[in-house]
Amino acid sequence: MGTDRIECIFFSEFHPTLGPKITYQVPEEYISRELFDTVQVYIITKPELQNKLITVTAMGKKLIGCPVCIEHKKYSRNALLFNLGLVCDARTKTCALEPIVKKLSGYLTTLELESGFISNEESKQKLLPIMSTLLEELNATGACTLPIDESNTINLKLIEQRRDPLIVQEYDVPVFTQCKDHFIKSQWDLTTQQILAYIDGFRHIQKISAEADVELNLVRIAVQNLLYYGVVTLVSIFQYSNVYCTTPTVQSLIDDRSIQEECLNYVTKKGQKRAFLRDVFQLYCGLTPGTTVRDLCSRYSQQLQRVDERRLIQYGLIKALIRRLQKYPVKVTRDERSRPPRLYTGCHSYDEICCKTGMSYKELDERLENDPNIIVCWK
Amino acid sequence: MYIHSSSFDLQGERKSMYKQSENSFFKCGEKTSPISVILVTSGSRGNKLLFRYPFQRVADCTSSLTTKQRSPYALNTTGDVLEDPDGDSRFSDIILATILATKSDMCGKKFELKIDNVRFVGHPTLLQHPHTIQVSKTDPSPKREMPTMILFSVVFALRANADPSVISCMHNLSRRIAIALQHEERRCQYLTREAKLMLAMQDEVTNMTETDGSPQSPFRQILPKCKLARDLKEAYDRFVKTPYKIMYLWIVSLFLQCRCNNRVCCVSSLCTTGVVRLHINNWLEVSFCLPHKIHRVGGNHVPPEALERSLKAIRPYHALLLLDSEKALLAQLPLDCSPALVRLIKTCSAVKNLQQLAQDADLNLLQIFQIAAHLVYWGKAIIVYPLCENNVYMLSPHANISLYSPLAEGFGQQFPSHDLPSMLAKFSLPLSLSEFRNPLDASVQEAQLIQMVVWMLQRRLLIQLHTYVCLLVPPSEEEPGLLRDEELPLVARVGGRSLSTPSALSFGSPTSSDDMTLTSPSMDNSSAELLPGGDSPLNRRMTETLLASLTEHERQVILNIPAAQSPEDLRMFARLLHYFRGHHHLEEIMYNENMRRSQLKTLFDKFRSVLVVTNHEDPVISLFQSPLG
Repeated sequence: MGTDRIECIFFSEFHPTLGPKITYQVPEEYISRELFDTVQVYIITKPELQNKLITVTAMGKKLIGCPVCIEHKKYSRNALLFNLGLVCDARTKTCALEPIVKKLSGYLTTLELESGFISNEESKQKLLPIMSTLLEELNATGACTLPIDESNTINLKLIEQRRDPLIVQEYDVPVFTQCKDHFIKSQWDLTTQQILAYIDGFRHIQKISAEADVELNLVRIAVQNLLYYGVVTLVSIFQYSNVYCTTPTVQSLIDDRSIQEECLNYVTKKGQKRAFLRDVFQLYCGLTPGTTVRDLCSRYSQQLQRVDERRLIQYGLIKALIRRLQKYPVKVTRDERSRPPRLYTGCHSYDEICCKTGMSYKELDERLENDPNIIVCWK
Repeated sequence: MYIHSSSFDLQGERKSMYKQSENSFFKCGEKTSPISVILVTSGSRGNKLLFRYPFQRVADCTSSLTTKQRSPYALNTTGDVLEDPDGDSRFSDIILATILATKSDMCGKKFELKIDNVRFVGHPTLLQHPHTIQVSKTDPSPKREMPTMILFSVVFALRANADPSVISCMHNLSRRIAIALQHEERRCQYLTREAKLMLAMQDEVTNMTETDGSPQSPFRQILPKCKLARDLKEAYDRFVKTPYKIMYLWIVSLFLQCRCNNRVCCVSSLCTTGVVRLHINNWLEVSFCLPHKIHRVGGNHVPPEALERSLKAIRPYHALLLLDSEKALLAQLPLDCSPALVRLIKTCSAVKNLQQLAQDADLNLLQIFQIAAHLVYWGKAIIVYPLCENNVYMLSPHANISLYSPLAEGFGQQFPSHDLPSMLAKFSLPLSLSEFRNPLDASVQEAQLIQMVVWMLQRRLLIQLHTYVCLLVPPSEEEPGLLRDEELPLVARVGGRSLSTPSALSFGSPTSSDDMTLTSPSMDNSSAELLPGGDSPLNRRMTETLLASLTEHERQVILNIPAAQSPEDLRMFARLLHYFRGHHHLEEIMYNENMRRSQLKTLFDKFRSVLVVTNHEDPVISLFQSPLG
């Protein structure tokens, strides 16, 4: 879908006298004689390469196919060799098309084994309209359901390839990137359905697990799944003692009209007139290292009249206008006899330590502030 | 799709699902390492696979664990479990020869073939017939039929899910090796000779196998005898075995190419320790740099396009910070390297900006830009803002502050009796160099403190914060509720103007000539003083013009500011108006306009009711402030 346009579908086979040839192609004459000559060794292949997904790039085109070989005495030359493949432009990303090609080769193999679909000249002709329909529908909607005969139907769907998601930690907070109401609950798995109500952009994973009564790792997996599909993104826990600072992206609030609109709509307090850009921008710029959200609230109380500070922070994190500065305790000196630090190594933030040990931020702070061996880094 | 890993992330940072197991030979999930390197040819004798590395299991029996390069007990942590974790070992030599030695009409172009989980990339190259077959008419001996090689290809097998930019880099490498081999073939039939050797060895081993019955890999025998095989093996090894070091092979330099017709020469290329020097036929050098190995941001590689964009944005006021000591870097340069490069490295300093460097090294600015970009591309230097008192640094979000990191160890060795975490903690809040240099305990040498900062910068532990200013006028009293035009910031209204610094083009960007007359920012004469002083009509008109791009409301508000009553201040404000869009930091304005920091700060203060100021890193060079992989 999108830019992955299939330019051509072809059916190639090994003719007993003529050798490898293209029997059908839709649209006609798309693959030139020259092109086929160059790539035929990858289309009708030696036995070692059969049943493998082969993608070859030549003359500005990419051909994806899966050569099939069915051996049987009834065939002239004792084997039927064919390949139903797709052709795209050489620059197209074709990973999503591979499962389709594989599936198609599987379908044809089944059809041939069951009813001699391909070796029978009459039924083979049905391939042409099938290929036409496939081409049209896959390009149009990315899906195709096509009955072949009474017992066989082709079901194909293009699945978009996505990036691998990040690991979700217990102290991460999932927040919906689109309106929650757009989702049809019943389309999701049971775990996700159960935790959906608790995802409000403020509850972290551990809290969701506790309140929704779902095991922690299941919640992590479910949220990771949502992350994969781009339904949620992760931000950090909100506390008034948090410290944030701006990133270069904050300027996009000035440059990009659509972000402005979105932001102002998002952060304005319910029931109030829309906040002014200047106020909101000043608030974001007021977030500096050393300034807590509490400080911000007292310094910029006038600007906060129409702005919900929690949503302000949330939006800033989602769009990466601001980033959170986390505290990392490091135990720099210790007695030889004491155990090496497990959590105070500079690898674990306060958020993490609090989640793991159950301490509150304040408790942890008090404990560490009085310890001369521990220094704290912010980053 | 992906596999959930419940293993605890010790780094405390977000990591991609694909963890890198160091035990696995194939670096599961290491998408930037090739699986193998293969050399094939096609000629009068048909298609042949000449060499292949790593050696494949010769016997088909799966029981021989000793020859298996990958232990069956090693964790396979790739998300999508490979059907055959051994990569391309399923492909026999013969089939590879058939599919990789292409037809001649595929020569001279990128060759890409994907079979299941393996992607082959190469650059098949046509060879011309050797010139040496000249049969003299008087020669009575019968013409000897020399087997001719028509084409050859150095192919790299990669993982199918390798990033497109990695694929194109490996293709680049294949092409460059091909150019070198083609050249050497024309000159002295190097390839034909090596091919003969390799084929002879293969025949020999096949014969031996038939008589002895003990299977051996012919390639193992070829290795000690063929220089080309050794070169290919080395190329492969360097990419796979030590992925965390910076890998280079020699390359024909993009920037400093020798202009010899039809000859491919290596000029001023760089190499580092741990480097492979691919000397094709002990004569031509082929070098290569896989930027993915060098430039990584938090675990993900930086695509070369982003790198190139950043390189284009380097300005004369930036400085070059070498990542190695001068001595070490010079020692790595080849004998025939460009003297300009040597001069630059010798005169380079973290406190000198590129413009000053040009003067000191007696090179023009364009050359400096090119060499600097070259050094940065190869991971030998980074771009920073020149070190000075007022620079403000903060801990980088990507910094590794772990107590047990190798960085902490290195720091302790370099600066005994100091530990890295304590130093880093000081930069938890933004700290200027001048503040840092006034420690409570005066026992620490000032010079050493600067050295520490440089050390930390080199290892991307610190980022520099700059001040950015944006013009945002308070909205007027009447509020229709919708976003009116007045609220549209300046940048959206100043339509036709390019957003980049207007002065960048005249002040020595790579495309301009080098006859700049700009004085350095440290000089005192501000150009504001060069204009006729006072409230002359010329100045008034100029101010009016500059303020014309503002809306009426904005103009009114600005003119109502007490400071605007001073024509000097208003003029300065108007002149700098186009910088107030949040994209130009203080130092840039200082440089472009020849102003002092104090002047600017005072101005900002005077007009603070319409300006919003923030501090963050410079996005242009933040690319270079991220850690190595």
